[in-house]
Amino acid sequence: MFDPIMEQILAIARDAWAFLAGLLIVVALLGGLYYVLQGTAGAAFGGSRMTSMAIIGAVGLVILVLFAFLFLPQIGEMLKDFQPNPPF
Amino acid sequence: MSTSIILEFLRQGWLALAGALLAFSLLAGMAQMLSISSAGVTGANAWVWQSVSALISLLILTLFAFLGIPQIVQALQSSLPGGAGCGPISVLGQYASDLIGGLAAVRMLKATFVSVLSASIGGTSTFSQALIECGEAIFGMLIAAAAIPLAAWFLGTC
Repeated sequence: MFDPIMEQILAIARDAWAFLAGLLIVVALLGGLYYVLQGTAGAAFGGSRMTSMAIIGAVGLVILVLFAFLFLPQIGEMLKDFQPNPPF
Repeated sequence: MSTSIILEFLRQGWLALAGALLAFSLLAGMAQMLSISSAGVTGANAWVWQSVSALISLLILTLFAFLGIPQIVQALQSSLPGGAGCGPISVLGQYASDLIGGLAAVRMLKATFVSVLSASIGGTSTFSQALIECGEAIFGMLIAAAAIPLAAWFLGTC
């Protein structure tokens, strides 16, 4: 009964997922570039703390993106398994 | 006959709402991850923790919808005296009990869906509103549990 509506909603949701994933990649790449610039500047001026903070930031960014791309789909699969049938 | 049609309609609605809830909660999770990464890059610590807590609340809301609501509905439906009395009042009581349970279940799922939707567009997660609606549905079912035997007694059926 609601299948045509659900198909429309799921199509929009898939497009939105792809858009968000692309946007996340763009933001992560820009952030990575910023950290590279920060690290390079720190290394050039002898700011070891600045460089190490930039390295930590870049690694954290990579971890965040990996978390989004690997963990969230797994959570989705888990929740899909939990999806209940009507209890009435 | 008409009751089974209405119940089938409610079942289809339940399945559609559950699917949409899952889709929206995943999208909201992705949006929160985007927020975390952009806030991390700009050094906004408060924004990062706000997004982390929103992510956790989304997970809790979805788990509550998928694991908690069916259990609540089943527990309350078993407490509804569907077969009070005999004759037509018994049949009516059974229909009423099924319909009340179905309506309450869909209403609770709808409240949680609205809550997830609100969190996914960056609003405050109105979990309290969802709990209030769940409480109202449970209260309605409890009143119905008392009303059906009273109606049977009032109508003078066995």
